[in-house]
Amino acid sequence: MDVLTFSRIQFGDTAAFHILWPLMSIGLALYLAIMEGMWLYTKDESYYRQLRFWIKIFVLTFAIGVASGFPLSFQFGTNWAAFSNAAGSFFGNILGFETTIAFTLETASLGILLFGWKRVPRAVHFIANLFVLIGASLSGFWIVAANSWMQVPHGVAFVEGKFVVTDYLAAIFNPDTLVSFAHMWLACIVATMFLVAGISAAVLLTKNAADATRAFFLHSLRYALMLIIITTPVQMVVGDMFGGILEANQPAKLAAYELHWNTNPPGTGASLNLFAWPRADGGGNVFQISVPNLLSYIVVHTPDGEVKGLNDFPPLDRPSVVDAIITFLSFRVMVGLGVVMFFIAVWGIVLWRRGVLTLPAILSRRWFLRVLVAAIPAGFIATEAGWMVREIGRQPWVVYGMMRTTDALSSNLALPQVGTSLIGLSVIYAALAVAFVVFVVRIVRRGPDLTTPIP
Amino acid sequence: MITLPIIWYLIICLELALYVLLDGANLGVGIVSLFPQQESKRASMLTILGPIWNANETWLLVAAGTLFGAFPAVYSIGLNALYLPGVIILIGLILRAVSFEFHAFSVHKRPWSFAFGLGSLITAIGHGAALGGLLSGIAVVDGHFAGGPLSWATPLTGIIIVGVVASYLVLGYAYLIRRMAYENQHETFSRLLTTVGITFVALAIATLFLPVQNFLFFTRWVEPPSMYYLTAIAVGIVIASAFLLHAVIRHRHAERLYPLALIIFGLGFVGMLVGTYPYLMPPSITLFDAASPHNTLVFMLWGIGPILPIVLLYNIYLSRVFRSDAHEVRANAYDI
Repeated sequence: MDVLTFSRIQFGDTAAFHILWPLMSIGLALYLAIMEGMWLYTKDESYYRQLRFWIKIFVLTFAIGVASGFPLSFQFGTNWAAFSNAAGSFFGNILGFETTIAFTLETASLGILLFGWKRVPRAVHFIANLFVLIGASLSGFWIVAANSWMQVPHGVAFVEGKFVVTDYLAAIFNPDTLVSFAHMWLACIVATMFLVAGISAAVLLTKNAADATRAFFLHSLRYALMLIIITTPVQMVVGDMFGGILEANQPAKLAAYELHWNTNPPGTGASLNLFAWPRADGGGNVFQISVPNLLSYIVVHTPDGEVKGLNDFPPLDRPSVVDAIITFLSFRVMVGLGVVMFFIAVWGIVLWRRGVLTLPAILSRRWFLRVLVAAIPAGFIATEAGWMVREIGRQPWVVYGMMRTTDALSSNLALPQVGTSLIGLSVIYAALAVAFVVFVVRIVRRGPDLTTPIP
Repeated sequence: MITLPIIWYLIICLELALYVLLDGANLGVGIVSLFPQQESKRASMLTILGPIWNANETWLLVAAGTLFGAFPAVYSIGLNALYLPGVIILIGLILRAVSFEFHAFSVHKRPWSFAFGLGSLITAIGHGAALGGLLSGIAVVDGHFAGGPLSWATPLTGIIIVGVVASYLVLGYAYLIRRMAYENQHETFSRLLTTVGITFVALAIATLFLPVQNFLFFTRWVEPPSMYYLTAIAVGIVIASAFLLHAVIRHRHAERLYPLALIIFGLGFVGMLVGTYPYLMPPSITLFDAASPHNTLVFMLWGIGPILPIVLLYNIYLSRVFRSDAHEVRANAYDI
């Protein structure tokens, strides 16, 4: 193990932990904005109760999100100084936009959302709620834009060891940015709504819940399910758009997704590996279970379209065998969970049309509720897997095709330094995750406040 | 002539000053909460910070993000060199951020209010370590950090850590007196007096030590025009301190303490800039060496320039909305 590997593990560890919280912040911010909007529109008190209850969990996700975001931006300087120095004029600029244009809006509005109940008019409170959603989403946009540029670095020239921007619009809105942002934003909604639906289902499954509490959680179950039904199919369509983007911009990464080694000769189709395992030295698979022509069809949308294989790239310019295996497996986890979530959404539609998403009919559909509880981690795992596909598939490049990960590292870093911070941060992350679960369980057990007068 | 790098330098200094002064008071309150006292007092301290501390802390992220974009060499080399102070600040900020929210939901308040205070203290120590490391001088060869993991840990850094923690305490006490959350005013005044004393001793030693550690600062005190500016700032600090001490000793004008403390530390901040300009990392890297290419600075100015005044106004609005006393705020908190 060397400083490079440690630094990569530390960054991956931090990023994987961090992404969980903005995911929930954005998803819950949307839910809160819908609830407050409906409350103001219908004057129905039950929406206000929803708002006050789910805001508690939102606060926790926001706090841990901020806390875990610090180490991420710090590590660009501490561990990846060479990358930051070379790419700062674009990458740092975009992160500067994220904090100044998006994050400030979110944090200042958050004060009003949490504490402003009697201090500002209802309309101002609702606007602050919307600003939290917009600020959080805009933050997500800038972060994805910065990351997309590392995948598809358009609009820059590499001059004397530094990136110089030649076309800002091309760099920010590279072919990857908008699709990636849509994919990420939808992932936030899907994953969070499965959390809301799962928590609601868990309460509905308890035997001695009060009727008012059941009604409350049926309410949140219905809204979460509605958002799941809308977003899950759209998410699959958006995900499919990556095929063409990758083929045009990151062909070696696409080949790693599929452990596709040899380019299909003209007139024949590329087959899709359902499962495969590569040879230890790369160059081909030990075995594979594949469907003929399907890969060509998915990527090029014709039965025999050309899909470049990994062997078309020099070994130093394509993901290593280990990176390729992780990419291949993560991709299957993501897609598999996506399909599972889609079928749960279909099940939800069927039950809805039969009119059983009401009390007490829902209580007899225990299997549906149990599946919803079991599906709580699905969206989170799928998102993590998706990011692993995206980032590990990018290797060995930090900026695709322009700067290698090995050239991105800080100078004069000592292994004990990185080791200490890696262990320290990992311990903190684990403790935070445990504390979060404990507090959410406590908040849910205590249930919603259904009596305090409305401000 | 005012050029783009100078404009960005001034913007970042403004953002940093806002962070240090606003969050400095919040961190100070956090450290005060560590001292023995009733748990209800601690809770009321946390309550007055509730609506504002997040927005205040954001200025650090804003300054860091802007620095990364406008002066990437300083962001990268600086954090490379100040790895451990950076980690200390991170741990402090994480602890503070989460314990604040967990405190609101917890059954046993004491561990979380303690974690909040501890997080504030660790953050302040980290600030001192980073500032000390920066002022002690960072070795740079060929645009890369050339020192070791502990190069920042000089005697000067030790003194600056004490000075920064004491400064935040002064701001914190003054802020508490202004918000009237701290009921035992008499005791608070005497504690404030003690911390003012510690701050001045620490900062005076640091000022004397600086030229020894980093020769640049010697020239700043003996060469015009910087020596005139520095002298004027020092006189300003002495006058403002005299007003502060007078108010503290006489236990009068409690509402003036916080603005006076802000003026003193604001002047101190300006003095540090005069002492270091145009260096961002004295004595090796100037703001002109580290600046991003011209087109990046222009583009960032179009993106961030119009937003900053809006953010400032929004934050002023926020602090006005939550200006009344601690008791009233608590009634509106997301109590569980």
